[in-house]
Amino acid sequence: MRRPAGVVSAGVRYRLGVASRAVAAIAGGYGVAALSAALLALCLPPLFGTSRSEAAMTGTLASFLVFAVAVMWVFAARTALRAWSGLAIAAAPMGLLVFLLTRSTGGAA
Amino acid sequence: MASLLLALVFAASLAGFCALSLAMDRHSEDVYGRGSTPGPWRRWLQLGGTVLLCLSLGASLQAAGSSIGWVLWLGALTAAAQATVALLGLAPRRFPWIGLIAAAFAVGGGLVYLLMS
Amino acid sequence: MKEGFRQSMAWLHTWSGLLVGWVLFMVFMAGTASYFRDEITVWMKPELHGLPQARVPTVQSAEATYAYLQQHAADSPRWFITLPTAREPSASLFWTKPPPPKGAPPVDRRNRVGRAMLDPSTGQASAAARETRGGEFFYRLHFDLHYMPALWARWIVGFCAMFMLVAIFSGIVTHKRIFKDFFTFRPKKGQRSWLDAHNVTAVLALPYHAMITYTGLVTLMFMYMPWGPQAAYKDSGGTQAFFAEAFAGSAREQSKAAGRAAPMAPIAPMLAQASAHWDGADVGRIAVNSPNDANAVVTLRRADGPQLSYEQPTMQFNGVTGALIGTFGDATRPAAETRSVLYGLHIGRFGDPLVRALLFLSGLAGCLMVATGLLLWAVKERQKFARTLKQGGRVSVGLRLVDGLNLGAIAGLPVAMASFFWANRLLPLGVADRGEAEITWFFIAWGATAVLGLLRPTLRMWQAQLALGALLFASLPVLNAFTGPAPLTVSLRSGPSAVAGFDLVALALGLGLASAVWIVERKRRTSAARRAAQAAQTPQAPQQVLVASEQGS
Repeated sequence: MRRPAGVVSAGVRYRLGVASRAVAAIAGGYGVAALSAALLALCLPPLFGTSRSEAAMTGTLASFLVFAVAVMWVFAARTALRAWSGLAIAAAPMGLLVFLLTRSTGGAA
Repeated sequence: MASLLLALVFAASLAGFCALSLAMDRHSEDVYGRGSTPGPWRRWLQLGGTVLLCLSLGASLQAAGSSIGWVLWLGALTAAAQATVALLGLAPRRFPWIGLIAAAFAVGGGLVYLLMS
Repeated sequence: MKEGFRQSMAWLHTWSGLLVGWVLFMVFMAGTASYFRDEITVWMKPELHGLPQARVPTVQSAEATYAYLQQHAADSPRWFITLPTAREPSASLFWTKPPPPKGAPPVDRRNRVGRAMLDPSTGQASAAARETRGGEFFYRLHFDLHYMPALWARWIVGFCAMFMLVAIFSGIVTHKRIFKDFFTFRPKKGQRSWLDAHNVTAVLALPYHAMITYTGLVTLMFMYMPWGPQAAYKDSGGTQAFFAEAFAGSAREQSKAAGRAAPMAPIAPMLAQASAHWDGADVGRIAVNSPNDANAVVTLRRADGPQLSYEQPTMQFNGVTGALIGTFGDATRPAAETRSVLYGLHIGRFGDPLVRALLFLSGLAGCLMVATGLLLWAVKERQKFARTLKQGGRVSVGLRLVDGLNLGAIAGLPVAMASFFWANRLLPLGVADRGEAEITWFFIAWGATAVLGLLRPTLRMWQAQLALGALLFASLPVLNAFTGPAPLTVSLRSGPSAVAGFDLVALALGLGLASAVWIVERKRRTSAARRAAQAAQTPQAPQQVLVASEQGS
């Protein structure tokens, strides 16, 4: 990967960009994965009639793949800002749904 | 019987990968010298190689059951692919003969197995 | 990141691999060894090599374990019994000790449990065999690490595994000619050869690498991602309720002791009933909650069989009356079965030695994949310093650090593993905490090689450590011949097959390491020749030539 040579501020900005993406990937990616696990666990039973334990298991199994894809997104995005925005766009509706579902069902099957 | 099947699994995967590698220009050059290509044989080598790999899968499922058979097949594929790479490097001139012998053994052994069971 | 998807994935692949590569190399090496952990343990107990290998019937083993536990652990809250198998002829006993009475000083963690290995034919503890952790050490090392709380270790390894999963996905995306390059290996071409080696070891065993990484995460998935069960069971019992529902009938369930003593029902009828229910399959494990108490519960778990799935059906019996409480796990549900199969794939406890040997081979490919990746990074990075080196300068601190870590991690680990086996045979039998002492030697050897590697990360140091590893491994059969009753000549003819297998594999690994020494030697000679040619063309000050030849380029 070519870095712009010489100018200090450009080098620093590059490093900050990488650091920002690293945080986004690790923390943000984990957050998105955790939300996806919770979402699947909560919405599979009403949607497909799967039992609670099965839905929870499925959500957990899938979450690692979601995590990996989220990390790849963060580094494929054209700018660090886009990386964060993409994660936020994915997390917001999931978070909202999880919030609503836990409130309404109260966790009971 | 079981050992015949296992030998089939390995022979067929080795023969299959030999065929598939010779279907590529790069390895055709390795074996037959610069500038050589598989020419009209390419499709036949690709087809034959695929068939041999499927034969290997069948023998594997027969030998170890429908779940562990897949694990055995993938493991055999790994071993066979690594052997193919090694043979291309160490014995390029004998490579097509090795592949042919493995293929003959795989097909012949398969027929023997089907006749005896 | 501005340069396009493939290039950004290449960047991600490089960094996600490098930052955790050294830990991953150890995880792969220890994990690969674990496929044969039972056999390694047998090799490390030479006292047992000469004994006959008759299989004791399950019932007799179970009754022997019961008798032993009644004698030594009658007041324990929980017993765990693992019955002998073809690979492990001793019964493994584990029990918790009752908590100390209130007011007494707290008990050290290690003294809260009891362990014993039982010879099922005599009913006596296998005290004849020397105290050693055996293959269990490598198994635990690859996820519990050592010298740290298990929880930290599992988070660290999980973090590295997640990085590895990302490295695999990004590696696939970035490898443009994955099919064209499938069989390509061009030796003696410097950086390209390293790349070819990395590609070949990665792609040819790709199903394995993806499987082992993902399933590794799955084995501890409830620790890493508790949010599914937490969300679904939020107001109805939380994760405890989830486990009770998903793993009903497991031996891990707790039950309350009644506090009243009661004699235990005999185990033999329970075993017979369970076997009959499972179409003749053997019982593999027995767990007793609150033995010798009125609320005793006996859980029988079916033995590992030809299925991939790790979870086995269980049956629970009232410990006092012998009556059946329930059967669990006969019908499986899709997600639970998926997890169970994934778990079973990772553990790889297949009875068939051929399948395990192929997994071992793929695991070795994984070790080579990680190693070639680390070395490729260093080779590529070194190229950026080609001009500086020619002018007599030095490489960056970062690269020197990577060089040193590569050396210590990759060449040092085989030396450490071999030292572990040498310590097993050479340490006196009466040493206190002998099992831990052997492990200490493992880390002493590794530490020494790491320090030496960081001090002088040169090609000569690579050769020295690889050669030492080769020597130590290749001479293990000789060591066995002098310190055990079953040298290779004997074990090949009449067993134990585990000992013969170990000796042969050790020999093969020694030869492999020796060939690595030769590869480095060839590299050293061509580099030296190239430098001599350059020096002949452009006259340099003597100390610059010296400095340039120090670094392993």
